Amino acid sequence: MDSPTTSLDQNLDLSKLSPKDKQELQQFIVNESQKARIQQSVHSLTDVCWKKCVTGSIRSGKLDKSEETCAANCVDRFLDANFTVIKHLEAMRNQS
Amino acid sequence: MENVSNSLGFGAASADPKAAVMNQVRQEAAMTNARQLIEKVNEHCFDKCVPKPGSSLSSGETTCFTQCMEKYMAAWNVVSRQYIGRIQQENGKSGMF
Repeated sequence: MDSPTTSLDQNLDLSKLSPKDKQELQQFIVNESQKARIQQSVHSLTDVCWKKCVTGSIRSGKLDKSEETCAANCVDRFLDANFTVIKHLEAMRNQS
Repeated sequence: MENVSNSLGFGAASADPKAAVMNQVRQEAAMTNARQLIEKVNEHCFDKCVPKPGSSLSSGETTCFTQCMEKYMAAWNVVSRQYIGRIQQENGKSGMF
């Protein structure tokens, strides 16, 4: 595959964009970055929760019911843990 | 001028730089996502399906791989649904994030 950057450089003159286009593009980038961040979190959460919840050998291509429940709980508890850490840090900051 | 975006049917990149940038960003995001998924599937499924690497991948191991891959993607979807649901819920509560 051609290098994406090369094809960009060759064809793009962003200075020619109208202010409206520029703003639209900026918003688009903001949205895409957020999407990418969320996707990144999903990847690392799946990694963590797979280790916790899929412990047996692979017998089929589907998640069984208990694994599915475990994965959903895993996400929620991970986030609970995350919030607990943040809350506690805040409490510590307020103490000092 | 012919380039990657054009050849993939994304339309006139040189005429509309905004659309070209958008497509580029979308493509790269999809690529990163796919690469990440492949890496993780390989890591976890190799762990599950090839406990003792032999001289070649057996048919049993190959079957295990395809099943494991489907399973991993199912897990990904469950996690994604749960995570996004939770974020939205927390967002509605406090406006954090």
